[in-house]
Amino acid sequence: MPAVILRRVRDLVITLVLVGTIMFFVVHMLPGNPAVAMLGTFATKAQIAQLTHALGLDQSLIAQYGTWLKNAVTGDFGDSIGFQEPVTRVVLSHAGPTALLAVVTTVISLVIAIPLAAYSAARPRSWWTRLLTPVSVFGIAVPNFWLALVLIIVFGVTLRVLPIAGYVSPVTDLPGAVVHLILPIIVLVAGQAALFVRTLRESILAELLQLYLRTARAKGARERVVILRQLLPNALIPLMTVVGTSLGTLLGGIVIVENIFVIPGLGSLLLQSINSRDYPLVEGITLAIALSYVVINLLVDLLYVAIDPRVRIR
Amino acid sequence: MKIMSVFRDIRRRDPVALGWAVVLLVVLLAIAIGPLFAQDPAHIDPLVRLQGPSGAHWLGTDEYGRDILGRVLSAGGVSLGLGAVVTGVSVVAGTLIGMYSGFYVRADGVVMRLMDALLAFPPLVLAIALVAFLGSGATSEVAALAIVYTPFLARTIRGTTLALRGRGYITAARCAGLTGTKILWRHVLPNAAPTLLVQASFIYAFALLSDAALSFLGLGVAAPTPTWGNMVDEARPYLMQEPGFIIFPGLAVVIVVMALNYIGDGIRNLVDPRSRAVLDLERLRRRTPVPTDAKEPVRA
Repeated sequence: MPAVILRRVRDLVITLVLVGTIMFFVVHMLPGNPAVAMLGTFATKAQIAQLTHALGLDQSLIAQYGTWLKNAVTGDFGDSIGFQEPVTRVVLSHAGPTALLAVVTTVISLVIAIPLAAYSAARPRSWWTRLLTPVSVFGIAVPNFWLALVLIIVFGVTLRVLPIAGYVSPVTDLPGAVVHLILPIIVLVAGQAALFVRTLRESILAELLQLYLRTARAKGARERVVILRQLLPNALIPLMTVVGTSLGTLLGGIVIVENIFVIPGLGSLLLQSINSRDYPLVEGITLAIALSYVVINLLVDLLYVAIDPRVRIR
Repeated sequence: MKIMSVFRDIRRRDPVALGWAVVLLVVLLAIAIGPLFAQDPAHIDPLVRLQGPSGAHWLGTDEYGRDILGRVLSAGGVSLGLGAVVTGVSVVAGTLIGMYSGFYVRADGVVMRLMDALLAFPPLVLAIALVAFLGSGATSEVAALAIVYTPFLARTIRGTTLALRGRGYITAARCAGLTGTKILWRHVLPNAAPTLLVQASFIYAFALLSDAALSFLGLGVAAPTPTWGNMVDEARPYLMQEPGFIIFPGLAVVIVVMALNYIGDGIRNLVDPRSRAVLDLERLRRRTPVPTDAKEPVRA
């Protein structure tokens, strides 16, 4: 078991170094001087030269990469141009709302998806089961920004029952935070829950072919017991992986949702830093999001090893 | 008559996927020939701005009095074309990378590490970051999305290649003196084709959603060229006055992406024996009563 963990952590470190390297070269090998782009059309030559030097862009690419890598290892990704603060600090101060959205969405999606999928496996002939596939395909196909705007039209503008934008910290005002989170969370849950239901249903149907179910039935177990005690635990294992991998889609969705509902998280910060050409910050946010995504998937994989003995034997 | 029997097989196995294929065909036809009949998407008429659906403008008009139906159709051409190019580029690049790194073990480690690194970014976030550095516009959007989706295909095709590599006929081909490239193109690619087709339809669906999101954020194709994404963005300030302006372009995305998802599932059910078995079982369970409805088992 420790050997597996060590191997996975080693792979993760290699991946992360590559991720950082890719970002570095994308930013630095592009034609054009970032200093010019940052300062805009009306900058003087002296200003450009000064910023070029300040950013270290007048050194050789390899030297720049060396400096970047050395700083990155210590968690120093330079200063944000817009905030005049270290990138790491700016990123950390905006991570709260994004993490909250991700966690709440995942939990609610699981709470919705697991019973639905289990029910549809137990009652293959019911109308709910027949509706499940079209509804979940719709959930996957609907563009989240469009769903958000449609919900704003319905609940915010026509019915006037929910706030259409803004963010309240759950620490200071819990009811206010809940009210402000309802619409963003509905938008995010639509896509996630649909994906979870589809995955779980497919893995339940695949498990149904297994013989241990027949054994359980032959021993006289009720169908409900067969599904809840025997089938569901086995079918949930593939869902665990999907919870990890679908976090990528979820984080993309959060960027859009934060933008529409004006939530001050990493997504809004990313778009804001792109608009203000704050390249160190864009680089920092992208790396931070990639880092959390990869680390969470590593944890999911390790949990997988802990839960499913078949993986350990390999 | 083989084609007819295949068609019959599809119709019997998966009528839903077939139905959505027809829907997609109708949408494509509308986008191809619609602009000949619909009103000029660029024609500005301030007198009729922000009106709901009417006889003159079937889907209403936007903030400049332009015909929304005409704009949705011409945006469809732009969005679907862009998605098709992204899908084509990622399929070709992903297949080449996947096949060769699956077949030549020496290249495998390095290439797949690089693919893993790209997969470590959430797709839309990577696309946004790449477009930010490449500059917005159709070309950089295609490049960014192709970079995002190539690793997914490369991973899948590599897996298929690895699985096929150990088969007897590949060894036989090698014994017969075929070079690696010939084996890959003549024996591996045809067997990977069904997987490729399934993946391509999903990638197309994802590419359309990402394209819509990017142009909604103002990072994709810019106005006045309409795309489904930037139309929704343009409609944002007017959501209180004319909801139809927002509804229709988004609905177009939903219909096309749903169709692609169903078609992808349909092809997979047709070619993948495992999901075929699952599907047959589900169908059987729908017809025959489940044990729950039965009485308690008789105990001795």
